[in-house]
Amino acid sequence: MNFREILKWLLLAWMSLVIWAAFFYVHPAEGFVGESSRIVFFHVPCAWVAVLAFLFSCVASISYLRRRDPKDDARAAVSAGLGLLFAVLATVTGSIFARIMWGAYWNWDPRQTSIVILMLIYAAYFGLRGAIPDPERRAALAAVYAILAFVTVPFLVFVVPRIYWSLHPDTIINTRGDNEFDLHYTQVLMASLVGFTGLFVWLYTIGCRVEALRQRRQHEVL
Amino acid sequence: MTDLFGIMLVTLIIWGGLFGYVYRVDRKVRRLEEP
Repeated sequence: MNFREILKWLLLAWMSLVIWAAFFYVHPAEGFVGESSRIVFFHVPCAWVAVLAFLFSCVASISYLRRRDPKDDARAAVSAGLGLLFAVLATVTGSIFARIMWGAYWNWDPRQTSIVILMLIYAAYFGLRGAIPDPERRAALAAVYAILAFVTVPFLVFVVPRIYWSLHPDTIINTRGDNEFDLHYTQVLMASLVGFTGLFVWLYTIGCRVEALRQRRQHEVL
Repeated sequence: MTDLFGIMLVTLIIWGGLFGYVYRVDRKVRRLEEP
């Protein structure tokens, strides 16, 4: 068994432990209805991975514009796809929390609205990619678009929800610069962030390898 | 069995299923990569 294989099985054990800890290591947090506070261990890492993936996409796009390497274009597309997937998961888990806390799955809260705008921006990225048949032109335009799209990420994720009044809890990231969770919550959340980041890296490498295979097949056909 | 234990079990099953699926895809890609 090589090192990569060990890492995969370690990820399985690590995340299983995180799931157990999310339910039995911590008590329900004060100020939240029932057990709803436990969703933070899945919702926050999904949002974190989405931002990380969009950052990867931006960096790969900058790299493509500098080197014109098709692998960078593939990396940008793979990470943007994963970012969109994890943004959807963050929205779904957030909606479940909203139903328990605020009585409705959707409340047009600034944070909900800004994540929808963000998802539409990245959905348009794939619309753009699908609309241009020429690979080089598609890669160049998509790279410029991905860089511009990432400019909106800090604004939509961190700035907009703080400008307007929001229902969203600000227990972790707030203008007071203070993490208001207790030690056990912080430990499990950090462990979950590490696990989700590991899962993202694994999915990202698989996606890049699939794209490399596709490009190799295309060269063989031509 | 409490509700909390049941939800944890379902979450673990979802995670196990997701892991198994990704692991299978990973192996399939590795087979395709072989010359």
